[in-house]
Amino acid sequence: MEKKSFKARYNEEDRYYDNKGYSSVDYNYTGPFLPDVNKMAAPMICVPGQRLCPDNEKVTAGRGTYSRNGFVYSSLAGYLQTAHSEDGKNIIEVIRDGDENVVPSVDAIVTARITNVSPRFCKCSIIKVGKTDLKDSFRGMIRREDVRATEKDKVEMAKSFRPGDIVMARVISLGDSQSYLLSTAENELGVVIATSEAGVTMVPVSWCKMKCPKTRLEEHRKVAKVQARFIEYSGSGP
Amino acid sequence: MPADSRRINGPEKSISPYAFSKPCKDIKITEPSLQRKDGRNPDNIRPIFLKTGLITQAQGSAYIEQDGTKVICSVYGPRAVIRKEEFSMQGQLTCDFKFTTFSCHNRRQYQQDAEEKDFSVQLLEALEPAVLLHKFPKAQVNIMVTVLQNDGSVLAASVTCASVALADAGIEMYDLVIGSSARISGATILMDPCATEEYSDKDSAHVNNGSVTVGLMPSLNQISAVTSKGELEFEHLNKAMKHCVSMCVDLYPVCQQALAVAMETRINADPKT
Repeated sequence: MEKKSFKARYNEEDRYYDNKGYSSVDYNYTGPFLPDVNKMAAPMICVPGQRLCPDNEKVTAGRGTYSRNGFVYSSLAGYLQTAHSEDGKNIIEVIRDGDENVVPSVDAIVTARITNVSPRFCKCSIIKVGKTDLKDSFRGMIRREDVRATEKDKVEMAKSFRPGDIVMARVISLGDSQSYLLSTAENELGVVIATSEAGVTMVPVSWCKMKCPKTRLEEHRKVAKVQARFIEYSGSGP
Repeated sequence: MPADSRRINGPEKSISPYAFSKPCKDIKITEPSLQRKDGRNPDNIRPIFLKTGLITQAQGSAYIEQDGTKVICSVYGPRAVIRKEEFSMQGQLTCDFKFTTFSCHNRRQYQQDAEEKDFSVQLLEALEPAVLLHKFPKAQVNIMVTVLQNDGSVLAASVTCASVALADAGIEMYDLVIGSSARISGATILMDPCATEEYSDKDSAHVNNGSVTVGLMPSLNQISAVTSKGELEFEHLNKAMKHCVSMCVDLYPVCQQALAVAMETRINADPKT
């Protein structure tokens, strides 16, 4: 490496490397927007800090990007994707397939496994946020008053959840430092999978009861009215 | 040194292996025109090897090799905070820096010593400004840095390695942080010093004898961390920092390319995209 004069190296124009096209799109570009990357054969790979395009009224910085000093930069190592929003803007996103880092956020629907039931609340571990599996579970808590929307004071925790149940719930607050606060106070939320004392997966019979197909015994649960859009078929398919 | 009762210690009658090792010669850093011990010019940096994804169990990882300096870094998270800590709307970054016992000239202990703790903090301070912490409230990201072999400029290599590992893990960042270091000896500035160059001999001058490590976010043109050792005059420090910055800018494409190569293989391996 030959010695380079420092000044020439480090002025504003010189800073942006065009290293085999990874570094930046021409930032003097003022046209409608980037080439239509979705149609390109190979997706354009981005790395954090990579300048993508000027930030003007025609573009919106979407997921995996941020805008700063009038430009949109990538904040993820992934590939570029553009979409058109309803108001005619280009949404620029940097995507990592199936490898997004998600954390539960307020109002998100999460899937959790009940770990501990007490008369006032039950604890659970969040295993899924939306449709994304979590690599590490987060702790969650459902308080007695958040189990259902009506007759809140008549709720009995032991008749709503049992350890091992799989529950769909909504995050109502980030809670304290220990756990997220979850709620099942909607018809669509509650227990979706539960096993009976005989160890068989039960079938729901009403909003508050599930039945064991083997022993025909009914057990109390806060049953969710499962919606088709939440069902994902894995493996053998429908 | 206090004996560690939990580990197997050597026999009572033993001789330190250092008695047999050649004394580490103090180098004399003199004229700038002179070639260094390993044949480099003062401005030259060592060849770099950088690769991501070596540790498959981790969310992201990176390995950097600068000739004799070998650092491996793994990133875990964002995951739930394990220890009981105060609630924060911002995500937390933790950093764990460790020399392996065999990495340095003198054997290191298993427990983190003061220097390693100091490096952990400096590394954390270099990386924190680059990470979009508000994207993972209440969660934390753990960075584990292990030095496999220490041949100088360890902190600089660790900063580069850790930021690439973070990007590989899919943690959102404003920019990569690139580390670089320089050794100042009088008017001479040695870029990317190796271990023998990092320490001055006892008789050398007290003033302007030290080292500088810089962490730069090249795309944002911001310095995220600076640390210097020794008593340095402003002009020398300034000059060394400028050299470090230009070295970081030179290293930037290397890191970008390492990440891009990793992404490309990931996309090719995954046919659904």
